[in-house]
Amino acid sequence: MRLFNEHNLKGTLICVEGIDGSGKSTQLAILRDWLKSKGLDVIFTEWNSSELISQTTKKAKKKNLLSPRTFSLLHAVDFADRLEQIIIPALKAGFIVLADRYVYTAFARDVARGVDKDWVRNMYGFAVKPDLTLYYSINAETSLERICANRTPSFYEAGMDLKLSNNPYKSYVIFQNMVNAEYLQMVDEFGLIKIDAQQSIHAKQVKMRELVRECLAKKGINI
Amino acid sequence: MEQNGKKYPGLLIVIEGTDGSGKSTQINLLKRWIEDKSYGCMVSEWKTSRLIANVIDDAKDRNLLNATTFSLLYAADFADRLENTIIPALNAGFVVLLDRYTYTAFARDVVRGQDFEWVQKLYGYAPEPDLVFYLDVPIDILLKRVIGTTGLDYWESGRDIGLSTDFYSSFEIYQGKCLEEYAKMKDLYNFISIDGTLPVNDIHKKMVEKVQEVLDSGRLD
Repeated sequence: MRLFNEHNLKGTLICVEGIDGSGKSTQLAILRDWLKSKGLDVIFTEWNSSELISQTTKKAKKKNLLSPRTFSLLHAVDFADRLEQIIIPALKAGFIVLADRYVYTAFARDVARGVDKDWVRNMYGFAVKPDLTLYYSINAETSLERICANRTPSFYEAGMDLKLSNNPYKSYVIFQNMVNAEYLQMVDEFGLIKIDAQQSIHAKQVKMRELVRECLAKKGINI
Repeated sequence: MEQNGKKYPGLLIVIEGTDGSGKSTQINLLKRWIEDKSYGCMVSEWKTSRLIANVIDDAKDRNLLNATTFSLLYAADFADRLENTIIPALNAGFVVLLDRYTYTAFARDVVRGQDFEWVQKLYGYAPEPDLVFYLDVPIDILLKRVIGTTGLDYWESGRDIGLSTDFYSSFEIYQGKCLEEYAKMKDLYNFISIDGTLPVNDIHKKMVEKVQEVLDSGRLD
């Protein structure tokens, strides 16, 4: 399966992973501006944003209509659509593709929801293997504090469907800790690079640029 | 019926076949027969989930699908129906008649270029049916039946995979490939293959015989 083999496409695929509030989107935005300032062709894509299905999924989530399995399948549809429409064409054209969340998000969340590990990995087997994936690690309590600055955790984010606790805040912490445990296990399994998300924005960006520079150098792009 | 260590009190009966093979006619007859025997019977058709069926229709209309999103959307539709309709009915002891099952996905997705094993695993959690009837109809008769009723549909003709720009030959090639996939599955999944060109009542009698055997075993008593 494609996910387990190096891709031979001209472009470079860089992904960030981690639970909400880990600062991964901020890091990716700063990186994007920097790469653009170097005159490189960059494209950005984020989780659950496809034209085909993202609105349907959002509506179904609002109505709590999803089981762990349909939750997993709908996100896979979204991913497959973006992969074929955005990610692969851009990689063929030699772009640097920046992905805010990738298949590892599904592997972490869906498995934490009780979906079979091998089933999810097989389903996403058509995905292109990233050149670099950074996992921003933060504990669930800190994550909760950060997201609560402007909103409350949603039903599925809090894993309320799993009936872990009647209290959405408590449920969030239990569920996101389970998600983190899955991520941690993927550091070895898929070579995710674990970054301590408690560091300053600056410190994280310095590290990110160092890793990206190294990764691009292998592709013959020196910045 | 047993799957993944779970036992359901009900019966799962599948009728498979390509478009125009006469599945719906047989399901209606079989449902009436089962109900006449005082058993609870429920029918569930392919692509009818409340969650996603209309999204599939819309995406097809707007030609938005690729082979992978096609597979996954149907898989999502199936999962939703399985969890919300089929399994609850089986748990309640119904005879559930299914117009198409996972085998439809296996045939169509493989013809669209997916790896068989990948699709098989995608549906790997689905309960194994108690009976699978397969209505076998040769391509020339299928063509006549479809042209004479619904007409040639874009997707049923596999026009999305660019087999031919001619509607007739595209349908012929596509449905022919689906038939080949069904033929491969016959032994693998113990299909009860029935000649779909036989008169409607003859086919019905053959099905009833098999269903009677299962009912005689006392499974639902």
